[in-house]
Amino acid sequence: MLLNGVLIEDTFAEAFTMRVARLLITARTPRWAKEAALKLTGFATSVIGCKCEAGIERELAADDTPDGRPGLSVLFLTMDKESLPQRLIERIGQTVLTCPTTACFDGLPDVPDRLPVGKALRAFGDGFQASKVVGDRRYWRIPVMEGEFLIEETFGMQKGVGGGNFLILAADADAALAAAEAAVEAMSGHPGVVLPFPGGVVRSGSKVGSKRYKKMVATTNDAFSPTLRAVTESQLPEGVNSVLEIVLDGTDGAAIESAMRLGIRAACRPGVKAISAGNFGGKLGPHHFHLRRILNGASPPPAV
Amino acid sequence: MSLAFTLRTPPTVPLEAEVLTPARLAGLSAPEAAKLSVVHGNERADLGEFFQVQGTADGGGAGEFRLTGDLSRVKHVGAGMADGRIVIHGSVGMHLGAEMTGGEIIVEGDAADWVGPEMTGGRIVIKGNAGHMVGAASRGSAVGVRGGEIVVFGNTGNEAGHGMRRGLVAIGGDAGDFAGVSMLAGTIVVLGSLGWRAGAGMRRGSIVTMHPVELLPTFSYACTYAPLYLRLLLARLRRLGLPVADAQVSGRYQRWSGDAVELNKGEVLILEA
Amino acid sequence: MGSSLRIVNGRVYDPANGVDGEVRDVCIRDGKIAADAPPDAKRIDAAGMVVMPGGVDIHCHIAGPKVNLARKVQPEDHRYDVHPRTRVTRSGTGGSVPSTFATGYRYAGLGYTTAMEAAVTPLGARHALEELHDTPVIDKGFYVLVGNNVLLYRLLQEGRLEEFRNALAWWIKVTKAYAPKLVNPGGDELWKGQRNANITSLDDKIGPFELTPRKVIAGFIEAATALGLPHPVHIHCNNLGHTGNVATTLETMRLAEGRRTHFAHVQFNSYGPAAGKSQTNPTSGAREIAEFVNTHPNISADVGAVMFGRSTIMTGDAPLAYMLRQFGGTKWVNADTENESGCGIVPFTYQDRVYTNAMQWAVGLELFLLSQDPWRMVFSTDHPNGGSFVTYPRLIRLLMDREFRKARMAEVNQKALDRSGLRDLSREYSLNEIAIVTRAGPARLLGLTRKGQLGVGADADVTIYEEDPDKEKMFSAPRYVIKDGELIIEDHEFRVDHEGRLLHVAPDFDPGIEQVIEPFFEDFYTIRFANYAVDDRYAPHHEIIPTAPQAAGARP
Repeated sequence: MLLNGVLIEDTFAEAFTMRVARLLITARTPRWAKEAALKLTGFATSVIGCKCEAGIERELAADDTPDGRPGLSVLFLTMDKESLPQRLIERIGQTVLTCPTTACFDGLPDVPDRLPVGKALRAFGDGFQASKVVGDRRYWRIPVMEGEFLIEETFGMQKGVGGGNFLILAADADAALAAAEAAVEAMSGHPGVVLPFPGGVVRSGSKVGSKRYKKMVATTNDAFSPTLRAVTESQLPEGVNSVLEIVLDGTDGAAIESAMRLGIRAACRPGVKAISAGNFGGKLGPHHFHLRRILNGASPPPAV
Repeated sequence: MSLAFTLRTPPTVPLEAEVLTPARLAGLSAPEAAKLSVVHGNERADLGEFFQVQGTADGGGAGEFRLTGDLSRVKHVGAGMADGRIVIHGSVGMHLGAEMTGGEIIVEGDAADWVGPEMTGGRIVIKGNAGHMVGAASRGSAVGVRGGEIVVFGNTGNEAGHGMRRGLVAIGGDAGDFAGVSMLAGTIVVLGSLGWRAGAGMRRGSIVTMHPVELLPTFSYACTYAPLYLRLLLARLRRLGLPVADAQVSGRYQRWSGDAVELNKGEVLILEA
Repeated sequence: MGSSLRIVNGRVYDPANGVDGEVRDVCIRDGKIAADAPPDAKRIDAAGMVVMPGGVDIHCHIAGPKVNLARKVQPEDHRYDVHPRTRVTRSGTGGSVPSTFATGYRYAGLGYTTAMEAAVTPLGARHALEELHDTPVIDKGFYVLVGNNVLLYRLLQEGRLEEFRNALAWWIKVTKAYAPKLVNPGGDELWKGQRNANITSLDDKIGPFELTPRKVIAGFIEAATALGLPHPVHIHCNNLGHTGNVATTLETMRLAEGRRTHFAHVQFNSYGPAAGKSQTNPTSGAREIAEFVNTHPNISADVGAVMFGRSTIMTGDAPLAYMLRQFGGTKWVNADTENESGCGIVPFTYQDRVYTNAMQWAVGLELFLLSQDPWRMVFSTDHPNGGSFVTYPRLIRLLMDREFRKARMAEVNQKALDRSGLRDLSREYSLNEIAIVTRAGPARLLGLTRKGQLGVGADADVTIYEEDPDKEKMFSAPRYVIKDGELIIEDHEFRVDHEGRLLHVAPDFDPGIEQVIEPFFEDFYTIRFANYAVDDRYAPHHEIIPTAPQAAGARP
């Protein structure tokens, strides 16, 4: 299959079930919401080393937030349900609580599985905190030097999908980067999806384990590393001299699929030889995103 | 159609009509509803002696019914109701929605004293004025409203929110004296002005007012700021139909802590002019 | 009064006359038990029923200023317990402290025909009498609080014992009381003078007085014995409610030295020292107290059992009320009665899961089950302190029905139960014993010779219960209640209203004592001496029970 002259390989991306929460961070100005969100989602690229994965989902206009101020929504994922509240409590406590003017609301209010995040963070108030119920949702007001930090008592947790991906195989590094940027641009703001890596892009795709070091959980994906074409069992087609990967986490498979479609289409530009995807033979992750099947489906991104 | 009650013979003394709840009327025909027993003064009487009843109650669970006329001597309407809806075209008497746990009561008129005492859930909306003891604890009880919302578009009398522990009392007009007296927690918002001794003996909770007020000496000024939760709260009041101004949403409020004779964990928020 | 009645076919329990469940007739004429009734007398067929004298409550709180304060402080307690009027009876409110009308009707509704209000300040006597006047059906009286009386303390301190005795007689007579009552002697006086102070032992000095509780109690026992009162000094001991108070209680009992003395609600004074890690959780001292009472015929007691649920602590022991108030942190009342007493009121709920409450419950039952002489360890809950009198039928079932008791024991705090002796007791009360502890015994301890028995000439106060294996059900609703020969309740329904009598004593005193008392009044009281004595208008229906030398522990 060719798209804009780019070969879409007959393979699939293999993804995992994760636990996801959605946070709405608001602030006096968009800038301070973003400062908090960037810190919150910083160092949250891969569960392998960060214990969580997170990213900014989209920017929110004042009319779309609970308190009528500008904000951002963030998706936050972990591999298991026990660790999600722990990571959230650590990170919100250090990055949002600390950030001027921000507030933190639950973005999955209808989900029955509730995480007592604000309920735990209230202890920072040292007994001076106060709760407030508005409608049927409870918030905690935690007194701080600036004034008050407001956080919702509980956050919804649902099953999500982590590790959706595709690989951009390009003739040179410049073409690969331009294609990756175009793909990220096309996917940005897509509901239900975040790209946890720097700028949404990974240059160091990995394989499971190591050929040499027993203790390494993940090591370089030598099959797609162009400098190793001659010394390893390379999977790189001829003429490919640089590969970049896009990794997607999301609230559900449909969102990932829809975002991948947009991203791959945008990535198929001059200088790109092929689009591939990472998998483990289909035995590890329950979610399989077949590239050709995705691109044949012409569905628009799901409405929020 | 649902049941409709029109007051035909106004009671000369108070009529205790706690039978007027969606649950008690569920599935009844108009003649059956007219046979329900009420207490007129100190005598038993049939509902039909006072009301013309039309229609049939909504099938299934608790539905909706209407009351029309000057019901200012009809007490205990909707007392203890758990769901369903009552719409009253006219004024209504004391103990409206007392101890209700859910459902909704709309009054297109005034309400007498004791609106929603010790309610735990649901909503009461009074389009006119209400009397004393809105959302209060019954005499002797330590705890008043434990949940739910009471919205009065007009003014209220004294002791609104007395002893409340949770929930919301929102007053579009002025509140009388002792608003939030002995409140344990919860929220009282008064878009008009507060009377004397607001929050006397309050332990926790919030009283919000949009007009300057002189507080008891056991309240201490803390700071002037824009409490974020107020944006949520006022947005909620707007959705409930109260005329909240933008300046109130984005305004800065003086925070006063009190009551120091109790826990001192309560607050009175006063909008800065 | 003129009506006659003949009750036939009932099983009669009249322990004072040695009748234990015999089927025999009981005849009534002119308000008294008679040997026979005219042929046209109304007949009550009591087949399948139990006939007993009307119940006599030796210790309860039903009238007076403190009771009224307790009503006023907790309107929430009455709200869901409306006592509606009937064709013949008046309306009222219930809860743990019912209104006067409801009190009378509810006592009668349980088959009680006599009740003694156990603590009225002299200053409150007028109020108490007015309320007792409004308490229908039952006969009633009250004990007057004299244990923290400043003038009596002065006389005692100065060794003016004859004047002391005369003053005591004066106080009893002019208030129309039935017996002298001591409440935490010295404790209130100390509490009023010093912040949070209380008596902790019989040898503590009482504030400014050269007196100790030991001296005060002995003085009152001495004087009351000399006065020949039908009911002796009625003592609420020091340290009531405190862990480890059993030592104080036993010491106080020893002070009686063979003279008649009554100990009120001893359950509250039967706590052993703290057990385990806790500094405060009491153990049971029931066995020691029961043994002492068993072996000392001059001592009598009412149990003051605790029943789980809502109650009202209502006491002249103001420092105790303060202590209890600290647990709940809720509303309370503390009142000071000039030179006479203190007062504290605390709405309270006994919870079966709470160690201390479960221990109190167990101690009360232990006292009953360890008592070897039901005539001297009689029935009470110290209404409403340990529980309302409406819980009496349940308490009776706990005593009569071992399986019921076991089932209830399984539901209470087990640690407390482990440290009580209740698990070792399998005794069940018989109907005869119930008749003693609820009727014959209290009547005898009160010196009410015409009450609590069905002999010829006795007051025709009779209760007829339908037999039922469920004793709680049986004692909850008598089929018939007869008061002074009138059929008040027939087929469980009130047929007529009735006004009972005030029972009081009028001991003699040397009128010269008024020359001692009057100046003190004019100096220190808010009321003039001339206005203090309660005149006869406050007791329109009354009966003076004569005073005479009383033999300790005597039995007819």
